Amino acid sequence: MLGERHMMRVVGLASVIWAAIFANQALAQDVRITEHQANATVSVNGQTITISRIQDHGHRLTGDFARTSRACPPACVQPMIAARGVATAGELEVLGFLKGPVSLSRGLLIDARMPDDFSRGSLPAAVNVPTATVAPENPYRADILRALGAVEGDRGDLDFTNALDLMLFSNGPWDPAATLMVQHLRESGYPADKINFYRAGLQGWLSLGLSVSAVQNQG
Amino acid sequence: MIRSVIAFFLFAVVVCAAIIFRSDNGTGPPVAGQPAASPAPAPQAATPAAPTTEVTRAEVASMVLPAASSRIAVPGQIQAEPTIRTDTHLSMEDMTNNVLAELGLLPESASTLPQQATARAATATVLRGLNAATGGQSAVQERVDLQSLVVDALKAGQDDATIDQLVNAAAIGGQVAVPEVLVTADGRVDTSVLLANIITQAKVAAGQTAPPTRPDSITDARGVEVRLVQAAQGATEARFYTVQRGDSLGAIAIKFYGNVNQYPRIFEANRQTLSSPDRIRIGQRLVIPDL
Repeated sequence: MLGERHMMRVVGLASVIWAAIFANQALAQDVRITEHQANATVSVNGQTITISRIQDHGHRLTGDFARTSRACPPACVQPMIAARGVATAGELEVLGFLKGPVSLSRGLLIDARMPDDFSRGSLPAAVNVPTATVAPENPYRADILRALGAVEGDRGDLDFTNALDLMLFSNGPWDPAATLMVQHLRESGYPADKINFYRAGLQGWLSLGLSVSAVQNQG
Repeated sequence: MIRSVIAFFLFAVVVCAAIIFRSDNGTGPPVAGQPAASPAPAPQAATPAAPTTEVTRAEVASMVLPAASSRIAVPGQIQAEPTIRTDTHLSMEDMTNNVLAELGLLPESASTLPQQATARAATATVLRGLNAATGGQSAVQERVDLQSLVVDALKAGQDDATIDQLVNAAAIGGQVAVPEVLVTADGRVDTSVLLANIITQAKVAAGQTAPPTRPDSITDARGVEVRLVQAAQGATEARFYTVQRGDSLGAIAIKFYGNVNQYPRIFEANRQTLSSPDRIRIGQRLVIPDL
């Protein structure tokens, strides 16, 4: 008789403590983005997007983004500086870019990968502009540059004064797509101070547990 | 004393105005008040920039002799300045490859350039995404360029003379830019070199013939000059060529080397005479280096 009641109390107490710990973990959200910022909320094109980190301490990267070694070339280690005058960014800068220029419609977060990769998920609010489409070999690249804000003069030269600010990224620091795109843009005359290079790419973003956009079909 | 000074001054102004308006520029006298230190605009096409250091002298000329500037004869100009727009980024090789790719004559593996249709589709997809993000309305623009002009004409089965007319009409009208090496001494586009190169590369791609090599003998000897130069090791041949009517640098390269892509040799050897590959003139004497 005494044993039963005692047992029930112990079990009850244990459940309460367990629930408290569990609830504490869920409510506390101890995996924040910065000390002062648990999530980032950005408003892009009328849509509100919340970016947070995965809270599960045991979470691991699996699949392709967990790999360390790919054949180089083409998957060689990319430089920290993509081109002279082009700023290299980290995750906090990307979030700041989304909150700033992108929200104000003065900038674009650009995924430089091929459409197949993009459709499997990308950074939130990213637009897909594959590197090959701004390469000199694309006879229609001027149309894309104009969509990015360049204005064509009489003799076919481009004026980039009102062009959008760009933040470029690709798969990771082993993927040359974003670095190459920086070079193509510079070669076309795009101002260096309007280009930003998020070197860590999707792999870096995922390795911090940050939210990605859903699988989508754009266009 | 004063009169002779003024006379000398006016003479100097007349000479300066003659120098200014002798330069091959279609625009009128520079606007008075322009600072003399501004750098010349970037080299673009056939028309060179007026030397801006002459601005101050031109200011004086236009002040002192307002009407005379238009009446001053332009000495030293023998023929009309070509008005064809050239594109230094446009190479014969790339253009020929693109044309062959569009005509379907290149083996798939050899062509690293996207087919026209794929490039267009990819661009259209990107533009849709950008429009969705920016609220813009950009669309793929159909552009007339030399490549599409030639491809359309070839697909339509036009003959060489018609293609020549079409290309020259578009080039002289300023609608298309051409590779520098195709501009002839009389200001036209050398379509025969263009078409011959397409045919040669098509044959090479099909594996029918080996790449073009230097011809053993030159069929047309007009303007060709061969001199024996005595050197320590013995006598060597030096060849010179005087530019004839209708010649382009590409045609000269084919004449002596059998291959239009060898034109840089001739260009580099004649830098003092040729400021750029499209600026050849009838009567120029060019050094033809050996391969």
